[in-house]
Amino acid sequence: MAVLRTFLYLLVYPGLLFLFVYSTFCEWFDRKVYARLQNRMGPTHTGRFGLLQPIADFVKLLAKEDVVPDAADKGLFRVLPAVGLAVVATAGLLLPVWNFDLGVPGWTSFPGDIIVMLYLLSLPTLILFLAAWSSTNLFSTIGGARVLTMLFGYEVPLFLAVLSPAILAGSWRLAEIAAFYQQKPLLLLANLLGFIVALIAVQAKLERTPFDIPHAETEIVGGTFTEYSGKKLALFRLTFDIEMVVASGLLAAVFLGGFPGGAVVGFVHFVVKTLFVIFLLSLIRALTGRIRIDQVVSFAWKILAPLAVLQLLATILLKGFLS
Amino acid sequence: MNFQIPIGPQHPALKEPISLRMTVDGEVIVDADIRLGYNHRGLEKLAEEKTWLQNIYLTERICGICSHSHATCYVQGVEKLMELAPPRRGLYIRYLVSELERVHSHLLWLGVAGHEAGFDSFFMYTWRDREIVMDLLEMISGNRVHYAINTLGGVRRDIDEGQKAKILEGVATLRKRSEYYFHIGANEPSFVARIAGVGLLSKEDAIALCAVGPVARASGVARDVRKEDPCAVYDELDFELCTADSCDVLGRVVVRVKELLQSYNLIEQMVKGLPDGDIVVKAPRKAKPGEVVSRYEAPRGENIHYIKANGSDKPERLKVRAPTLGNYPATVLMLRKGFIADIPLIFAAIDPCICCAERTVTLVGARNGEESVVRMDDLRRQALARAKNAPVKGNAVWPF
Amino acid sequence: MRIAVFMPELLRHLFKKPATVDYPFKKLQVPKDFRGTPYLDPAMCIVCKACERDCPAEAIEITDVDPAEKRFRMVIHNDRCIHCAQCVDSCPTTPKAMRMDSLYEIATDDRHKLKADWVYVRAVLKPKAAAPAAPAAEPKA
Repeated sequence: MAVLRTFLYLLVYPGLLFLFVYSTFCEWFDRKVYARLQNRMGPTHTGRFGLLQPIADFVKLLAKEDVVPDAADKGLFRVLPAVGLAVVATAGLLLPVWNFDLGVPGWTSFPGDIIVMLYLLSLPTLILFLAAWSSTNLFSTIGGARVLTMLFGYEVPLFLAVLSPAILAGSWRLAEIAAFYQQKPLLLLANLLGFIVALIAVQAKLERTPFDIPHAETEIVGGTFTEYSGKKLALFRLTFDIEMVVASGLLAAVFLGGFPGGAVVGFVHFVVKTLFVIFLLSLIRALTGRIRIDQVVSFAWKILAPLAVLQLLATILLKGFLS
Repeated sequence: MNFQIPIGPQHPALKEPISLRMTVDGEVIVDADIRLGYNHRGLEKLAEEKTWLQNIYLTERICGICSHSHATCYVQGVEKLMELAPPRRGLYIRYLVSELERVHSHLLWLGVAGHEAGFDSFFMYTWRDREIVMDLLEMISGNRVHYAINTLGGVRRDIDEGQKAKILEGVATLRKRSEYYFHIGANEPSFVARIAGVGLLSKEDAIALCAVGPVARASGVARDVRKEDPCAVYDELDFELCTADSCDVLGRVVVRVKELLQSYNLIEQMVKGLPDGDIVVKAPRKAKPGEVVSRYEAPRGENIHYIKANGSDKPERLKVRAPTLGNYPATVLMLRKGFIADIPLIFAAIDPCICCAERTVTLVGARNGEESVVRMDDLRRQALARAKNAPVKGNAVWPF
Repeated sequence: MRIAVFMPELLRHLFKKPATVDYPFKKLQVPKDFRGTPYLDPAMCIVCKACERDCPAEAIEITDVDPAEKRFRMVIHNDRCIHCAQCVDSCPTTPKAMRMDSLYEIATDDRHKLKADWVYVRAVLKPKAAAPAAPAAEPKA
């Protein structure tokens, strides 16, 4: 019985099937908002309001021919998309939405799980680099180099910004952080600067404009994804979608007060808050153009990192002031 | 670590096939090599087999964006050969369509520059507003592209009062939008960070390498065929020559937007001051023997057509020097010392119309340096023979 | 340096109707004198062959069917036509025998389906009134 329950947990809700459906819904939302900001229509005809469009894209990619280049490292090339999907889906299990008991830590909610989640969200970047390297295509190599260069830029501000509310709440467990801010909602305003820094850093992690340099279409044809096609490309795109959901879930849990209220109300909170974060991410995507890789690093180290350190200082001072 | 990146012939940054081989060291470009010929159609040869009237439609199809400029340049030259004097109303309508085409081309270019820089919202907005110009052109000429409004001796269609009112209304809307795009283009930090200081071309280099059009004007070279060689209409109208001093892609954006605003002035002056009268004079079938060089300021720069007649109803030789061909040597210079991320922007900043600038491929013998032009069938036969006799290669590298 | 310069414009567009026309469910009207496809009014054609001579794409073909009865056949190869309307301009009759309609959705999967032909007797036009006499046209489009 417990085995069946675990299987359902991993595969249906909140595991792969739920993440698949919800991330395609979020991709539809992102595309529709992006299109409306640009005075266009967005997906319209596939399903009602175009809701089935991301699923249709996924199915179409599954049906296409899967070409593996001769010179590529075949083992790595084949395995990486599935590994990426597994990593982000595991990160999704750690969000404080699903059934957890605040008093009793389980294997989806334990002290230190915020660190584990940040680590699991950094892995896709390395997987992208390995995918680029194993493609042995000129454009992929440049894309892979750019992915790692960007990692040096945004990782530190992201960590600092996400960990400041944890310091204020005095716990490394996502569920406890969320519960702390649900009791004292006014302290959320103290993390506003960190929220903005984390939003920009998450945009860089997800490789969206203005940071979509590693797979800049007009410059290097596709970067990491140049040689991928068919099922592998479908899995990579799904990985990115799920990463978007998980990252916005993380931001909502830490900066927007979590998902209180039990199973049903908590789920509604989850949907509303993640859609709000995705709306902000789409707005940033429509607002700016792509910047160059050297400008990303200088922007990250000259502006984002100092702001994150400032947020950290403010948090420490506030904590000292409050206690 | 030097290696060669092939941008093209197939690449998402290019709208048409052209081969740019970049030798890069990390992210910095060391050298660039441009190879043409992927879009060659043999138009100059085909023009020798069609009559003067049919060639208007042929020259129009050299390019889709600057179609009217090629047709106008050709018709100007032939009218000189045939010693025709088109009536003033016809000339006004012809150059009105030219200025509308300049507006459409520059709005298209603004969108493309935004897209190459990743600024897709800008791209969508400028192209949405470009629809206003396309609808105006469709109303005047019957088609959105390839207007075919020129004929030997004048124009084919007239403009009535209702159309004049619509043109003025459209231009007023566009002027407001263009000023907004100027504001955005010059102030949006991520866009400006990409285009400022990129693709530098000093004034001396621009003159030495024969750069034309907005590329030269952004380096401070004040040359415009409409001012130097005005053809009957431009010396009666009041407009400024737009230059910029920053010698980079931002300067080219500024020059093009300023030209947009000047074009709106010109269109309004032409519509309000449209003289009465006929729109066309009858043209003869044959042209007297002679040769003529006709120049015209296309949206991309100076367009030159050379036409030679021998007394029959077909031209003996038509040679087209499109403005993009003049900008290619300057592009090679601009690409050096740039970043890979700047390639699409630098290349898009010259507003490439690659199909305008196609030339044949000559074979240069490696040992004796002798040049020859070979027919396609012979080339194909030689290539097949070589492939049959060559050994099978494993991981082929670029042979040159 | 101002951040988010574009923001007010972007947010305003969230509440506007999209600028896209949902083709093919909704269509835009083409303007008057739009250059669609050419077609013949055989009652007016005097077979001067000016259109055949001036066509840049050699899309008009006029052949004799029966010289005694002055019966001719014109084929317009719409797949070769470049829609320049020079044939309409070259046609000397009033009203013109060669006309342009507003059809633009003529795409098909076989180029031979795009050819239109007419078999007719040459019209004799009185010089002053320019009204047709003896039209025995059977348009076979």
